[in-house]
Amino acid sequence: MSAVAAKINAVNSEPPIEREQLAPEVMVEIERHLIREARMLDEERIRYWYENFLTEDIAYTMPIGVSRYRREKGKPLPGTNPGAGAYMDNYELLGMRIARLETGLVWMEDPQNAIRRFLTNFDAEYAEDGSGEVIAYCNFMVYRNRRQRDENITYGHKVDRLRKVDGKWRCCQRTIHMDQRVILDKNVTFFL
Amino acid sequence: MKDLSALIQENGAVQDRSIYWNEDIYELEQERIFARAWLFLTHESQIPLAGDFVTTRMGEDEVIVTRHTDGSLHAFINSCPHRGNQVSYAEMGNTRSFTCAYHGWSFGTDGNLITVPLEHETYYDNIDKTRFGMQRVAQIDSYRGLIFATFDASAPPLMDFLGDMAWYMDSFMSVPGGTELLGPPMKSILDCNWKVPVENFIGDGYHVGWAHAAALDAINSLQGLGGAEANPLMSMQGNAGYSPDGTGIQVSTRGGHGMGIIWDTAAALHVNPAYGDWLKYRTETIREQQGEWAAKLYNGHWNASIFPNCSFLYGTNTFKHWQPAGPRSIEVFTWTLVEKEMPEELKQYLAMMNMMTFGTSGMLETDDGENMEGCTGSNRGWKTRQGKIYSGMGQVNEGPHKELPGIVSEGIVAETSHRGFYRAWADMMSGKSWDEMSRSSSRRSIKEVA
Repeated sequence: MSAVAAKINAVNSEPPIEREQLAPEVMVEIERHLIREARMLDEERIRYWYENFLTEDIAYTMPIGVSRYRREKGKPLPGTNPGAGAYMDNYELLGMRIARLETGLVWMEDPQNAIRRFLTNFDAEYAEDGSGEVIAYCNFMVYRNRRQRDENITYGHKVDRLRKVDGKWRCCQRTIHMDQRVILDKNVTFFL
Repeated sequence: MKDLSALIQENGAVQDRSIYWNEDIYELEQERIFARAWLFLTHESQIPLAGDFVTTRMGEDEVIVTRHTDGSLHAFINSCPHRGNQVSYAEMGNTRSFTCAYHGWSFGTDGNLITVPLEHETYYDNIDKTRFGMQRVAQIDSYRGLIFATFDASAPPLMDFLGDMAWYMDSFMSVPGGTELLGPPMKSILDCNWKVPVENFIGDGYHVGWAHAAALDAINSLQGLGGAEANPLMSMQGNAGYSPDGTGIQVSTRGGHGMGIIWDTAAALHVNPAYGDWLKYRTETIREQQGEWAAKLYNGHWNASIFPNCSFLYGTNTFKHWQPAGPRSIEVFTWTLVEKEMPEELKQYLAMMNMMTFGTSGMLETDDGENMEGCTGSNRGWKTRQGKIYSGMGQVNEGPHKELPGIVSEGIVAETSHRGFYRAWADMMSGKSWDEMSRSSSRRSIKEVA
């Protein structure tokens, strides 16, 4: 393969990392857990979600991707671009967002918005560090309908790291990847 | 087209609603404002090395901004002069040249045409390559790292265009080591007219207590900002109260720029004491180098806009570029403004807090976005947009200041800088030359400052 061909290769030639796979019953448990979590959020049980589905050391992020040429993939971005995200939250900041919603003074949430989360393409495997924590992958589609005629659908995928605490799975790391460089809806103020 | 001179009335206090909706007015804005004014492009820190580039827009024109091999800054329209195809689809990177995907014409980072494939075989070496470089802006310059350009060769120099706005901004832009914008920029769409966020940032202290009531409440309850006595922002929460005495000022400077400043609250929305400590550490230097007013400005929280479509909040450190995309839509770029010499940890914290408050999912940005769309969308109604809207607040309480440049209003809730912005807008839309405008009220300096 010539150097030029390698630069513009649009096919990923890296094999996936081999990780320990989950037993089928654990896989079902993970899948059910993520689906239930989505239902809690659809039903606006946000405080319940905060207290029962997350760990207090959570890193909840939605990084900003950059549209650049493949030949520069892997190189640091030019200039002062250390990275940023639509969410760069820890447990405390997530709590502040929820406290805001609880004031009853958020005018954009009144009348209530319909937000429906669809999760698909579940996959999961054990983290490599032997901690027993699980890396879970899924694709999502979020349908949002508000103010009678305002409608938007957002697509992406998320990668979670789940930890079993007192017999229940909790998310300790969530990275949400939107399949949009430019956020095409007015905002992405919903939890995933 | 409506009568242009009737669109802005009562010295900037009354706007015709059609200016937020009508296609013909929008097209005229492209010609008379965006093709003439100095427009923000990026910060030098985003393209520090030879070959670095970013893409952005001037009005609706796509442009590439580069650092050339000799270190000079260039900006040119991102469209091939051969058959018009867009040349760079990457939004940033480092490159030696830009190659069009259609026929392979290749351009240097200064925009010059370098390579025409099969030049000998197809043009018989009879093409003057100097004729077909990328179309450059007429002027490009930077103010303390912020890069601006204009398509108008007759536009006054950048520093004259910024005028007294730069005097105010020097308080935090001229810190030792300078400033930088942290990215990559967040990019998002809002279905509003481009002027709506500009006027919100330029002077709307009025909405803070009400539109952001929930966010202020949440921040205060979780972070203990000290309540109403300690923090003028908190006294306004839910429109509970407001005292103009000594809380701050609002300023409209010549050329339609403007700001509102709340004294001693730069760190008001922060829980991490590191930012307040940094400001304290810097203040002595600012005072020594620039004097007492600069030290006071440096410690205030600013909401501000640079005419026509660039805004920032100093203190909350969000930096915004509102790019028009039709009369009823904009694309928003958001960076974090920091001082270069700040510790990396503090920079990272400020980026996080910027996204938490004024990113596209920020707790305050989402309040604003909703209102901005509503202020635009309601003008869909034919009868609605025959009407006018009003920004007359504070006219009885403004004027020249004994020490500061511009028209100054006491207190942070006023619409002084809204009016200044719309006077400048009307001036440019009238089609007056720069020379004529320099004598009109919108561009006349209120108080000359050395």
